[in-house]
Formats: sequence, C-alpha cells, structure tokens
Amino acid sequence: MQMGDVLMAWAQWLETSPWGFPVRTSLWLYPFIQLIHFGGLSLWVGTSTAVDLRLLGLGRRRQTAAQLSEQLFAWNWIGFGIALLGGFLLFSGIATALLVNAAFQVKLLYLVPIALVWHIIVQRKARTWGQTEQIPVLARLAGLVELLLWLSVVTAAVLIPNY
Amino acid sequence: MYDFFEAFEQLSWVQFIGGHRFLYPALSVLHYFTIFWVVGTIALVNLRVLGLAGRSQTATEWTEQLAPWTWTAMAICLVTGFLEFAPGAGEFILSGMFLGKMAATLVAVVLAVVVHRNVRKWDQAPAIPGSAKVLAAACLVVWLGAILLGVEVANYGFF
Repeated sequence: MQMGDVLMAWAQWLETSPWGFPVRTSLWLYPFIQLIHFGGLSLWVGTSTAVDLRLLGLGRRRQTAAQLSEQLFAWNWIGFGIALLGGFLLFSGIATALLVNAAFQVKLLYLVPIALVWHIIVQRKARTWGQTEQIPVLARLAGLVELLLWLSVVTAAVLIPNY
Repeated sequence: MYDFFEAFEQLSWVQFIGGHRFLYPALSVLHYFTIFWVVGTIALVNLRVLGLAGRSQTATEWTEQLAPWTWTAMAICLVTGFLEFAPGAGEFILSGMFLGKMAATLVAVVLAVVVHRNVRKWDQAPAIPGSAKVLAAACLVVWLGAILLGVEVANYGFF
C-alpha cells in the first residue's frame, strides 16, 4: 500500500468522522467553521504583522518592537490555536478533495511550515533585534519576509477553488 | 438602481479587472489579508477593554498603537472589496447575503469607531465601566457576524 493510498484512506475516514461529517453536510456549520478559521487567523495576522511592521520601523514608537512582541505573544498563539482548530475541521469536512488539490498541497506542505518556522524565528529574535530603535537591517528584512510569506499562504488558500 | 450597477459593470476598466487572471485573485488575497488585519487589531482593542489583553498598558496606549493599522488596513480592504464587487456589481446588489454583509460591516465599523473614541474616557474612570465592556463585546460579535456573512458571499458568489 502506497503513502497516497494511506492518506486517502485517512481522508475518507475524516470525512465520515463525528466532526468531519457534520461539517461536510451541514449548510450552516461549514461557514461557521470558516468563521472560526478566519477569526483565529485575524488574531494571528494582526499580532504577527504588527511586530513585523514595527521591525520595519513603521507604527507608533511608544514601545519597542521587543516589548510589542511580548505583549502580543499570548493572543498571537491563541489565534494560531483557533485557526488550527478551524483549519482541521474544515479539512476534515472535505479531506479527499483537498488532499489532491495542488494549491492546498502547496499551502499546507510548504508555505505554512516555512512561514511558521520563520515566524517563530522572528518572534524569538525580536527580543534582541527590537530592543532599541536601531533595528538591524537583517531584522527589517526578516519582518518583511514574514509578511510576504503569510501573504503567499493566503494566496495559495485563495487559489484552492481554482484547482 | 440595478440598471445603474449593470451599466457600471460594462465599464472597460471594470471588465478588465473581472477578466484578469492574476489581478482578481490578487485583489482577493489583499482583501482577505486586510480583513484579518482589521478584525485582528479591532479585536485586540476590544479584548483590552474587556481586560483580557495588553494589561500592562492603559487601554489608550494599547489602542494608539493598534489604531493606525486598523484604519490603514480598512482603507485597503474597502478599495480591494470595491474592485472585487465592480465586475459583478449588478448581481451583488441584488444579493441579500451581500447586502447583509455590507450592513453588518457598517454597524461593525461604527461600533469600532465608538470604542476607539471612548477609550480615553474609559481609562480615566477608576476601572473600565461595565457598559464599555458590553460595547466591546458587542463590537466583537458584530465583526464576527460580518465575517460570517462575508464568508457566505465568498462561498456562493451572488444569489
């Protein structure tokens, strides 16, 4: 049995699971789960990009980038958790279709892991990079790259219906 | 009024956008991204009023940092949304779901403005008033409602 078959079997099981089946079949539940996914992403994107932009030297200077990052830390990861939950439920509902969708594959297998790792790096480095207003060029670049990475994740997601 | 929007759809620049392979998805990406930005920053302000976020700063300081992003993102969101709306203007304007989304968004924006404007006053009280928390919670709920309706517009197009 090949990996693809195993994954497909798992996907089929998800679609009939106690959580996947209702998402798949209920007219009102699916958009509600989308709401959870997007709600979590709002917190995630809002908190992540605020720090990125601050590292780029934009935004109010009341606090350093390091301080801002620390203050937003909790809700950043709460947002991620909510987005992950919503995403998993959405996936469970239409797993077999998503599994063979090129845009989804690119999004989940490549873009999200890369963006996530990058985010963690930026978040940790923000403590040192963002301690003063003399933010290193490398830090500015890193912040910009994170913005672009998450934009590319959203791009892949938007293109899912096209594939 | 339908005729006006149908005529609007025929404008050459509108047709260009609607048929463009990369431009239309690009508008979609920016619209989604700025929605997350807008809702995220507004949510953080409301959470501060509710005492659940940013407690090491005053609500005013917290809001002051996030507000520029809220309104910048909202402007981009409005423009990208309008450009997405334009190629299908006639159909969208007849869609109850779309009109509902716009109404909810309008109420949500008004509530957000009210919260932003009152934060300074609320900070001056010994503790943030209960009525403020109710307002902040309502603001959050309406924004979630706006997202829900927006999602349905994306799911069904216009109907």
